[in-house]
Order: sequence, then C-alpha cells, then structure tokens
Amino acid sequence: MSDPAGVLRLLFLAVVGVGAVLMGGVYAVEVLDRLVGRAVARMPLRLAEAAAAPAREAGLLLLQRRTVTERPDAALWALAPALLGALAAAALVVIPLSPALALPDIGSGIVYFGAAMAMVMVAVYVHGWSANSVFPIIGAYRFIAQALSYEMPLALVLIAAALPAESLSVGDIVRSQSGIWNVVRQPLGLPLYLIAGLGLAFWGPLNFPDAADLAGGTRAELSGAALLLWHASRSAVLVAVAAMGAAAFLGGWLGPWLPGAVWMTLKTIALLLVLLAAGHLVARVRLERFVIVAWTVLIPLALVDIFVSGLLALRGAGR
Amino acid sequence: MEQDGERVLSDLVFWLAGAVAVFTAWRVFRTDSMVRAAYWLMASFVAVGVILVLLHADFLGLVLLLMMAGEMTIMAIFMVMFMMNPAGLNPMMMVHQHRTSIVAGVVAFLGLAAVGVFAVFPVALAVPTPDTTAQLGRELLGDSMLVFETAGVALFATMIGAIAIASERGRYGTADEGSVEPPAELTNGGAP
Repeated sequence: MSDPAGVLRLLFLAVVGVGAVLMGGVYAVEVLDRLVGRAVARMPLRLAEAAAAPAREAGLLLLQRRTVTERPDAALWALAPALLGALAAAALVVIPLSPALALPDIGSGIVYFGAAMAMVMVAVYVHGWSANSVFPIIGAYRFIAQALSYEMPLALVLIAAALPAESLSVGDIVRSQSGIWNVVRQPLGLPLYLIAGLGLAFWGPLNFPDAADLAGGTRAELSGAALLLWHASRSAVLVAVAAMGAAAFLGGWLGPWLPGAVWMTLKTIALLLVLLAAGHLVARVRLERFVIVAWTVLIPLALVDIFVSGLLALRGAGR
Repeated sequence: MEQDGERVLSDLVFWLAGAVAVFTAWRVFRTDSMVRAAYWLMASFVAVGVILVLLHADFLGLVLLLMMAGEMTIMAIFMVMFMMNPAGLNPMMMVHQHRTSIVAGVVAFLGLAAVGVFAVFPVALAVPTPDTTAQLGRELLGDSMLVFETAGVALFATMIGAIAIASERGRYGTADEGSVEPPAELTNGGAP
C-alpha cells in the first residue's frame, strides 16, 4: 500500500470501482424515478420503456447543440457540472460496500464525506453565477440560503451516528451497529438526514435552485451535453446521500444470509426509493418556509438527537 | 525501498499542492471579480488542506475543506452585498493602495523568509501516533479550552459588530433613526 505501484493500483481500483458504482447508481436513479412516478400515479409501470428511456434521452441531449449566453464565465460554467459529479464520486470513496469491497478506510471518513458535500454549495452557486443570466443567478442565491439551512442538521445527525462508534471512520460506524442499527437507537437521525439529503441533492420538494418557477434556475441556460452532465451529477449526489444513509443508519453491509455487498445495495436502493417517492408525493414548499422550519425545528431536533446519542454513548462507555 | 517510494510520493504531492497553493493565491489578486477571487482563495485553501493531510493532521485538513466551502461562498456574498457592483460579475479592480501594499508584502515576505532560513526548528524524531484526532480533541476541550472558547466568542462578537457598523446606513434611512420599510399599500395617490 505504501509503495508507488501499490498506490497507483489503488487509484486505478478507486477510479474503476467508484466509476462503476456511480454510473450504475445514476442510471438506477433515472429508471427508478420513472417507475416511482408511474406507481404513484397508478399507471402501468412499462418496465422496458423505463429502462430504455434514460439512454434515449441521454443520446438526444448529446446530439443537441450547446446554447451560449452573453459573456459567461466560460471556464467556471463548463467546470461546475463536472465539479458536482466529482464531489459525488469523492463522497462515495469512503462508503464501503462490504468489508471486502472497500477502499482503505480513512480515519476521518465521515468528515471527508461532509467536506465533499459542503463543496456542493460551491458547485451549485458557481453554476448559477457563471452563466451571467438572470434566472440562473437567482437560483444560485437561493441555494446558498437553502444550503446554510440543511448543512447544520446534516452534519449534526452524522456526528450523532459516529458517537456510538467512538470513531469517525465509516467502517467503524457500520460495525458499531452490529447489535442494533442507528435507525432504531437514534430515531430522529434518519428522517432528519433524509430531509437534509433532499436539500443537498436539491431534489423534489427541496429543488429550489433549479425550480420550475425560475424556468429551470441554474440550468435555465443549459442544453446538450452540459445539461446531461448536470442532471447526472445531481442524481449522483442523491446516490451518495442514499449510500451514506444506508451505511450510517441502516447498518451498511450487516445482515443475514446474503453477502454484505448485496445488503448494502438493497438498503441504498430502499433509501433511494424513499427519496424519489418524496419527490413525487410531497409538494414543493416555499424557500422561506423551509429556511424557517430548518432553523427552528430541524436544527433543534438534530441537537436533541446528538445530546441523547452522546448521553447513551457515555453511559455505554462507563459500563 | 518501500520507505523511499512512500517518501518520493509524499514529496511529489507536497510540492504539487504547494505550487497549486501559491499559484491560486496569486490569482486571488489578479482576477477582476469578487466571486472569482473568493474561489481562487478557496482553491488555495484546498491545497493547504492536502498538505495538512500529508502532515498526518487529516482531521484538520478535512475540516479546513469543509469550512472553506461555506466560508468562501458567504464571503463572496457579503462582498457582493456591501459593494456597489450588485451581481459581482462585472469586472472591477481588486487591489488598491498599491505602494503601501507592495511595501507591506515585501516586508512580510522577507520577515517570514528570514524566520524560515535562520530559525532553528526543533526536530521531533517521534513517529506521530495514528490517532491525531483524539489528541486534538483532548487539547481543544482540555488544557486549551479557555483559550479557544475566548477566541471563539471574541470572533463572534467582532462579526456581529462589523455587520452592525457596515449595515448602519440602510435603504430606508439609518439604523439608529429606525430604518422602516414604507407601507405596502399606496398612499398619497401613489406619489412617492
């Protein structure tokens, strides 16, 4: 591991492994989102059509020509979708599929995940700002208000999940749930995490920066390959949110009979279905209301979660 | 052999991160927009965070990245809010008081360089323990707690004070005279 050849091999494995998980995850999100939408509307599912539609739409977008605005910051505008996707990939690096299918566990894994997800704010803001156009920049400023509201609950519930493990490593957090999952001993954790996760991926009811009332917000001026990349990157963030939720609250790879990686995949898909269903079932709220609820309800609840989890962890440590 | 390989690799990453940190820090002062300046500065801090991780301070390095993402964005927005250029995209001069700043920069560089060249640094031969995060926690919430809490409260008070001073002159009159928004319904036949 410490010799250069080993490091290069590790890098290769990381790129291939995380790339495969990311591409598969993004495609799964697109297919599942269509299926969930049809199921919610009580329509026939049409599995084959749902499975082929994302590829067809991606192909169409790749053929579309790129729109331009007047004097954009071209470099930042082109880089922002790539940055968003790279952040999702970076976050997936620390989430183990199973003890065998994992990159070397870094000690501060959950902080690393938090750092990558905090940079999402930069990617979305830059994306809206660099187009030099009205609707995108309004979307960008909206996302700052949104991000400052969901970040505290997100960070607090993840720290609470790390408390029983007495470690910041994601592998240790999964192992600490061998007796009882965090979703049971910290009942506030997962719901708060999922609400914050919807905000992080600006999905469904919390899609403020790219909202329809802004004619698409930060992606209002986007077309073609750039739009495809932005869309896929947003889905990738949702995959990272669901995977970390499965690891931190649903016991990750732990489970009987099946191999660990299968359990982890099933739990991630289950959380994805919850998030996608929220996108179809919950009405979009107003940003002001979300900010008020986040600061007066979600953050206090997250503090309760962390204090109770801390007390329980202290009691466990004193035994 | 294995030790050498590791050393070459970490040296390589160190010099790369150092070069990125210096180059992006220089770009902060050469760009013409507050948003770009803020994110060049963030790129510089990301490179510094990588160097901190190389120094086995992985928690500090990662927390630096986590904080800087939010901090630089908020800084950009505050600069845009308090300056005359509303969107921040129009070009503007980012440096002023050229002579003073050149003198201050040269003096600071020479001072720090002199410290770097002439000071005798203690050489710690001990291998860092793997759990630097736990050591950091004990330091922050143990012996140095009073120092850090005092600094934190002082910084917080400074921030509130700075915003209060900067926002004294509001759109609807000064803050100490009572800045009140005009009523929403039309009065006086709609005349201002």
